[in-house]
Amino acid sequence: MFIKIPSATNLGLETIGVDVEVNIASRGLPVFEIVGLPGKAIGESRERVKTAIVNSGFDFPARRIIVNLAPADLPKEGSFYDLPIATGIISQVLNVGLPKDSLFFGELSLDGNLRHTKGALLLAMFAKERGFKNVFVPRQSANEAAIIKDINVYPVDNLCQLFNHLLKKSELKPFKYQPNFQDKKTTEPEFDMKEILGQEQAKRAIEIAASGGHNIFMVGSPGSGKTMLARALPDILPPLSEKEALEVTKIYSAAGQIPAEGSLLDFCPFRAPHHSISQVGLIGGGVIPKPGEISLAHRGVLFLDEFSEFPRSVLEALRQPLEEGYLTISRSRNRITYPARFILVASSNPCPCGYLYHPKKRCVCTEREIKKYQKKISGPILDRIDLQVEVPVVDVKDLSQHQKAEDFLEPSEKIKQRVIKAREIQRERFKKEKIFTNAEMKNNHIKKYCALSLEARRILNQAVSSFDLSARAYFKMIKISRTIADLEGEGEIKAEHMAEALQYRLKNTQEG
Amino acid sequence: MPNVIKIESSNYPRLLKAINKDAPKQLYYKGNYNESIFENCLAVVGSRKMTSYGRQITEKLVSEIASRGITIVSGFMYGVDATAHKATLEVGGKTIAVMPCGIEIIHPAYQKDLYQQILENDGLIISEYEGDFLPTLWSYPQRNRIVAGLSKAVLVVEAGEKSGSLITANFAKKYKRKVFVVPVPLTSSLSTGICQLIKQGAEVITGAGDIIRFYKPKEIDFDNNLRKDSKSDYHNHKNNSDLSEMEKIIIEELKKEPMKVDDICRTLKIPISRVGITLSLMQIKGLVFEEKGKFYAK
Repeated sequence: MFIKIPSATNLGLETIGVDVEVNIASRGLPVFEIVGLPGKAIGESRERVKTAIVNSGFDFPARRIIVNLAPADLPKEGSFYDLPIATGIISQVLNVGLPKDSLFFGELSLDGNLRHTKGALLLAMFAKERGFKNVFVPRQSANEAAIIKDINVYPVDNLCQLFNHLLKKSELKPFKYQPNFQDKKTTEPEFDMKEILGQEQAKRAIEIAASGGHNIFMVGSPGSGKTMLARALPDILPPLSEKEALEVTKIYSAAGQIPAEGSLLDFCPFRAPHHSISQVGLIGGGVIPKPGEISLAHRGVLFLDEFSEFPRSVLEALRQPLEEGYLTISRSRNRITYPARFILVASSNPCPCGYLYHPKKRCVCTEREIKKYQKKISGPILDRIDLQVEVPVVDVKDLSQHQKAEDFLEPSEKIKQRVIKAREIQRERFKKEKIFTNAEMKNNHIKKYCALSLEARRILNQAVSSFDLSARAYFKMIKISRTIADLEGEGEIKAEHMAEALQYRLKNTQEG
Repeated sequence: MPNVIKIESSNYPRLLKAINKDAPKQLYYKGNYNESIFENCLAVVGSRKMTSYGRQITEKLVSEIASRGITIVSGFMYGVDATAHKATLEVGGKTIAVMPCGIEIIHPAYQKDLYQQILENDGLIISEYEGDFLPTLWSYPQRNRIVAGLSKAVLVVEAGEKSGSLITANFAKKYKRKVFVVPVPLTSSLSTGICQLIKQGAEVITGAGDIIRFYKPKEIDFDNNLRKDSKSDYHNHKNNSDLSEMEKIIIEELKKEPMKVDDICRTLKIPISRVGITLSLMQIKGLVFEEKGKFYAK
């Protein structure tokens, strides 16, 4: 007796069709074998499947059972083959036909229940692409799979329930997508801009960074509020479009980062890895490459606190993705591309002890140590960071009542409206190009889209000599002033836009 | 070729010889050895971790003093020492750097540009150590006795509790040389050493004039008001009439006290973008400058 059940395997964000072939031979010694380059998790699935079938009250045939995952030369990984294998065996024992155009997906528990399994969204997308009508997934993953419309997603609790449905004893109902099913708490912003007292310049810099998609470098003493500012940034970014949200959710699905009963991620991701992170952790990798933090930050914010403490090799690996917006991981067996377009927020102390600009505490570093510390970050990385801002320690006592008042401080929502407007102007401007934001502009775009007024050009040229601006700093200034002009809704870059941009130039680094 | 002056030589600096048994047996030097350089020496010393104020005041005082032909002696360290050397060179004055290491070694190495400039501008690099002797913990205070010994007076700019400048000042007292100090805000941690010196009888100066008068009592055509020339600068700008109302206010505020951008924004109650625009333009015009996150009026 032989049965073939269609399934799939995920290679990065791509899904490749796989057939699960189950054969129960009428002759031969009892054996249960899985072939077709199964990964460790699949190899162990034999024990899980066997126990789950027995514990669900079905007979486990004492025959020669061979499971083949075809194509045989493609390595397969993941625990979701449990369900198709079990279904294949039981269907032959009970002699029930399986519905056509159906996919089975899920990891089994020993008691026959199905567990939340990563990658449900990728499978559902594959199903729709290939014309499958029905997808059977664990109930906890159903909301994730149901993001994809026009297919029937059947939420399955356990094996018995599935076979009652297949035997038409009690039918399962297709799952209805529940948007915003997620816990509200995870989507609500952690910090609102209005909660941040003082820091006028830093807040303005964050607003500019959000508007133009610029990477930003914050320098400040410990406790000055760098982390708070960074965490407030995703909240002023424009909301993700449906397409973008799907992109982000796909990556999270591939990484297994979508919680049980979770669905579409419709907020900008915020990732803040610790500086002990490995290169593979940051950019992705592994035998079958998994997305790293930079891909999980796609369309959102990657916050690298204590930037200069990150190992140099790890930071240098950021160069390509910062430039291209995606990363291709090549391994001997495969090559996988993950998108990684994010706003980099880097923060650092001004000196090794951290108190260089502190109003009260005394810095104990020598001039030489400070110079060495500030030069730790390489030029090519700084090259990709447009803005720098100092984040001083704010003494709340210094702020008057008026300055602490609610209505004086702008809420994130209001800033967000301005950012959205600026982004719309950019989308309109770049509709014929392959880029979306000012930060992505290359020199030819700058020439084409950044008309400087006479006065603005004069100021920039003067600044080149008085601030010793390098050629690359020169272009960064034009990009930032373009964003500032967009925030004001101006077509031409005027003197004041350029003058303001100059305040956010990179200082104290080898760029000068 | 080793340039050495022995203590027996008639060229040996007279003042240094006067410190008797503390005087080094020989001096190695680089540059044009000319006795006239030792005639009117002022040692300028201070903290390595000087503040922006320290830098500003050192530049101001030294450039006035050095332009009157007074030789500035210092220890070539970064911080006040290096600032004093640089300010002297800027006004074409004479300067002597006393090294804590052998004459062939530039220490700290990254200041080799300054080293060259001193030599190119008729300055002198001297040391009691020969060749490639490396600086050690004890050679720094030893060096300080030469700094004090060469000079008629010592000017201490900023000094913390355990500053090497205090050692120099103590040597100066021992050799009966005058000690001047620059007033510092008491809130600064670099005031501890200065206060100590004031209590021990050091003279507090209120301008370069105090020192110039000490060296050249006959010259009286100088001005002891430090703020005066900056004020006239301000008036010049005013005459140029390119100062906007906001620029005037910002300069007024910054003259009282250097400020961070956020402070300016709060004090003047104008949006941060306007403050940024104005400050950039003022920086370009050279009206203000930024250091360590704060803005200063020039």
